[in-house]
Amino acid sequence: MTGTSGEKSTDSSGSRKLRIALLPKIKGISYFSSCFKGAEEAAKELGVELIYDGPTDGDPRKQAEMIEQWTIDGVDVICVAPNAPDVVAGAMKEARAAGISVITWDADGTTESRSFFVNQASARAIGEGLVNTMLQDLGPETEGDVVIISADATSANQNAWIEAMKPALGKSKLNLATIKYPGENASNALADGQDVISKYPNLKGIFGISSVSFPGAAEAVEQSGKGGQVLVTGLSTPNDMKKFVHNGTVRSVVLWNTVDLGYLTIHVAKALAAGELKDGAASIKAGRLGELSIVGDNVMLGDIMVFTKANIDQYDF
Amino acid sequence: MNSMHDAGSSRSFRWWHETVIGALLVIVLLVAGWLVPGFLKPQSQLLLSRQLWEFAILALGMTLIIITGGIDLSVGSTMGLSAVAFGGVHAASGSLVAASLACLATGLCCGAVNGALVSQLRLHPLIVTLATFAAYRGIAEGWSQGHSYSRFGDDFSNLARGSWLGVPLPGTFFFVMAIGFAVFLAKTPNGRFLHAIGHNERAAKFSGIAVDRIRFWLYTMSGLLAGLASLIYVARFDTAKADFGKGFELDVITAVVLGGTSIYGGRGNILGTILGLLLIHETRMFVSRYWGSDELRSIVIGCLLIVAVLAYQLVSRRRRS
Repeated sequence: MTGTSGEKSTDSSGSRKLRIALLPKIKGISYFSSCFKGAEEAAKELGVELIYDGPTDGDPRKQAEMIEQWTIDGVDVICVAPNAPDVVAGAMKEARAAGISVITWDADGTTESRSFFVNQASARAIGEGLVNTMLQDLGPETEGDVVIISADATSANQNAWIEAMKPALGKSKLNLATIKYPGENASNALADGQDVISKYPNLKGIFGISSVSFPGAAEAVEQSGKGGQVLVTGLSTPNDMKKFVHNGTVRSVVLWNTVDLGYLTIHVAKALAAGELKDGAASIKAGRLGELSIVGDNVMLGDIMVFTKANIDQYDF
Repeated sequence: MNSMHDAGSSRSFRWWHETVIGALLVIVLLVAGWLVPGFLKPQSQLLLSRQLWEFAILALGMTLIIITGGIDLSVGSTMGLSAVAFGGVHAASGSLVAASLACLATGLCCGAVNGALVSQLRLHPLIVTLATFAAYRGIAEGWSQGHSYSRFGDDFSNLARGSWLGVPLPGTFFFVMAIGFAVFLAKTPNGRFLHAIGHNERAAKFSGIAVDRIRFWLYTMSGLLAGLASLIYVARFDTAKADFGKGFELDVITAVVLGGTSIYGGRGNILGTILGLLLIHETRMFVSRYWGSDELRSIVIGCLLIVAVLAYQLVSRRRRS
């Protein structure tokens, strides 16, 4: 997964290859591994050196320390998926001051800490998509409680999605009973799932809105024998959820194309380092993805995808 | 004749362990400098030393405690609780000074509770600090409900990220304290009493050393240092959260033991601890910069500890025979 030593690699013409560091929130979970797959594809295509490393436990302080090390190593671009924007902001600003291009991907950082954000889908599209999927699966007139199992209370993505989910839920007959923050931790997510199942007798649905809390919540529902009565939906990779979709605990999985997200991130990083992408640009050409639009400083990947029993087996990530 | 003379001179040489650790440190530096271009550059060394100072400050207190045959497992949790105190007070008052004082005071109180339990109730330090290790973390998490406090301003975060004459501020601070601790340990009666307590507590008591009072202040001081380390940590990441310092206690104990302080008490010094800290730090930096892998770090540190202890035993056994 990782592949860097301090040696400067050169391409055949002898000029130095661009070195792009890609920092996921957590290394080793299938969501980010699938992003890495796309990133590798783009790196090969563009002839850049890709460094992929991140904390195995999702600790944002370790992310900050990795950024500091890459700054000293003098890489050309650092692409960060911050676990907690404020914690890594200092290190990102230092990297920028040292002349390194810094972008965020998957999750945004503070605006002064990066130049562009590679955005998988707008918060509104994701938040409303989640609620609409749940309503569709439950039946639009269903009454009862739902809960959200998020990641950390500081996770910028999840918080933005929750803000978008609230008005959509307000229009329905579902009542948001509580929001849980298990962190990016599978056993905490499972415990939170068990907790809400026993606490809310009128529970109709659980939203697991991180790729760790979604399978955790589904596992809790399956163990409690309430599969079918309590519906679980959320954001995760198809491979992690296939089992639950086939046994009926989960009817729909919401996500975007994560392989494309990694692919696009490296394209943006390369364009930035090569001077092809400037502030205020309205679009970018990203290889096989074609021309993608830039809104403000957000490079937009596209729309959400919904995986169901009908199509989930066609995807492998 | 000749061999007797050798034996005599090496017995009077008391710095075997420090020599072994120092040699290992030089080897690590040379290998790293050879394999990682720019590893030895003073500027990058100083920048990356940021990751060291919180551990280093905790290790000073831990050295003294382990010399007396005690241990403080609660330092990491104390950091977490102090950080939450900082965040809570800052959120309520908006004052960085009040928040910093609350952070230090919380550390002091946590340490004093440990000290009182160890010295007044005569409970074993391992049990006491194992209990407060869990309790302080629990209070921190309960108080903050998992939320984190942040945005204390660039000026505050520069206290940890900034430098003075090229040396990071926390580093300057650490070295001043380290000299103080070393002088206290080697040159003052109270400092020498610590070794006596570690050697034989009963004998120390009978010879009139105020063992309980010394113990109380040692743990209190360790708590205060944890509060200070927490303050630097909060400034470095511009964030205060209940999980700060998780796992630090074991890393700090590793550095102290690696530095030659006997876990049974009675032997140890500050120079050894500093060498132990540097050896761990440089090895970590080397491993993560060469292999770019977070997981390998702990494996290498574990192996290093075993190598260092074996190397020392080999040297000291030869010396004895």
